[in-house]
Amino acid sequence: MLKKQIPILLCFLAGLLPILSFFFSTPPGATGEAEGFLKFANDELEQWLIIVAAFALLLGVVSVFQVNLRKLSRREKGWMNSLWLLLSLVITAMWGLLDALDQLPAFAGIRIFGVTGETGFDWIFLNAFQPLQATMFSLLAFYVASAAFRAFRVRNLEAGLLLLAALIVMLGVNPLVAGNIPFISKLSIWIMNIPNSAAQRGIIIGAALGAASMTLRILLGIERSWLGLQKGE
Amino acid sequence: MGFFQRLLNLDRRWLYLLVGIIAIIGLKAPLKLPIKVTEEVQALYDRVESLEPGDVILVSFDYGPSTAPENDPMADVLIRHALTRDLRVVALALYPIGGAAEGIEELRRCVGEDLNPSEGVLASSVFEGKSYGVDYIYLGYKDGGLATMRQMNDRLHETFPADYFGTPITDYPLGRDVTGYGDVAFCFSVATGIIGEWWANLVNAQYGLPVAVGCTAVSAPKYFAYYKAGQMFSLLGGLKGAAEYEGLVRSNYDRIEELTNADVYNASKASVIQAFVYSLITFFIILGNIGFLLERRRQRNL
Repeated sequence: MLKKQIPILLCFLAGLLPILSFFFSTPPGATGEAEGFLKFANDELEQWLIIVAAFALLLGVVSVFQVNLRKLSRREKGWMNSLWLLLSLVITAMWGLLDALDQLPAFAGIRIFGVTGETGFDWIFLNAFQPLQATMFSLLAFYVASAAFRAFRVRNLEAGLLLLAALIVMLGVNPLVAGNIPFISKLSIWIMNIPNSAAQRGIIIGAALGAASMTLRILLGIERSWLGLQKGE
Repeated sequence: MGFFQRLLNLDRRWLYLLVGIIAIIGLKAPLKLPIKVTEEVQALYDRVESLEPGDVILVSFDYGPSTAPENDPMADVLIRHALTRDLRVVALALYPIGGAAEGIEELRRCVGEDLNPSEGVLASSVFEGKSYGVDYIYLGYKDGGLATMRQMNDRLHETFPADYFGTPITDYPLGRDVTGYGDVAFCFSVATGIIGEWWANLVNAQYGLPVAVGCTAVSAPKYFAYYKAGQMFSLLGGLKGAAEYEGLVRSNYDRIEELTNADVYNASKASVIQAFVYSLITFFIILGNIGFLLERRRQRNL
């Protein structure tokens, strides 16, 4: 009972409130008596959701620690990377916390390298995290070029059509080409606006219907895997 | 071994070297490429031009350092355009991996690197007469994604009780004036990933706030569906979109032309590099396929 019915009931109520609130609550901006219970309850739930989402970040950190500490203790392949990851995480988090505590007078003045107005956390972000992320993403240019040369081949009709569309769009957004051949630019815009939008709409609507049906299954207690229960339990 | 067979077996490091050389040539080339402005970009420019002085726009930093080279120029030019037109800017961040830091970095780039409300530096050193808390404010990052967006509709002060620097937002005139989406003319989400979609399919669809998105080129095909459906009034797709908007604003405002020219990096410069690398990749694709087809025919004839 405690393990199944109560969580399912709570889930049902938490899911039902925003749905009812969306359809039946008072108009936007209404206050005082006009502000009904549904809106009040929904607003509270939204506040809770923001808090729960913050805890989800904490859960992610705990999970990263568990996985990497296990790797370290067993000296698994790549354990050195895990060590660097954990050290970076601890150092960055430590500076973040110190910066937060910096708001208290007792901790005022904690700064590194004497950079005015820049906290330690900012310093790590600007000098380590930002260049590393930019480097990782920049490498894509090299990999894409190499992959384009080696893997993007006309092996069959579908691959040929994909290649043709990709080439037209690439040429259409390239000012060196599109400026001289306006037809390519027009064709590229047509591909993006018509076939691409149609296909994307299909994907988006399909995903939304899937999400809606899964939500209904969870709210009605049909789908129970989120409770950690096995099939049939 | 024939020419094409040797070419197909070329060590990939030669390709990497070629890409590097072409990118450097693009970086150094004193070129200004002709960029045709598309309707989806023109719409953002026209909307900013149509607003009255004092109107408020929301700029959401929904990206991190990984896509900053594509997203930064979009944010820069919009904030500069808005402040030049005497609009007021409320900036915030919803992207967890570096969104908050990107936001303050770009705001400082636009209004002055010395901006530091914690130490009383509020006045802009770039836009004369503009000041933090009056003409622009930075609310910082808030976790929660969709829930945060919903709450901001009519309870902005509850969602962001304090700004990025820890000061209650109601201490500032701009913070007091804006209580929700009803006080905002439109939202511009500078996005990577899904957050720009949420602005369209939640905030625009449910609350009616006009939304424009500046996204990475790789996300642009997906965002076109929302733009064509009218859930966004404008879409800046990757560096190309940023360069189009930047070109429009620069050609109409001398001050922004001056500021953008002083930037080490901007969309116009980046689009030259991108055009060079795109040309090389296109060449690789064509060359690779010619080699592939010739090699397949040779093997069939054996």
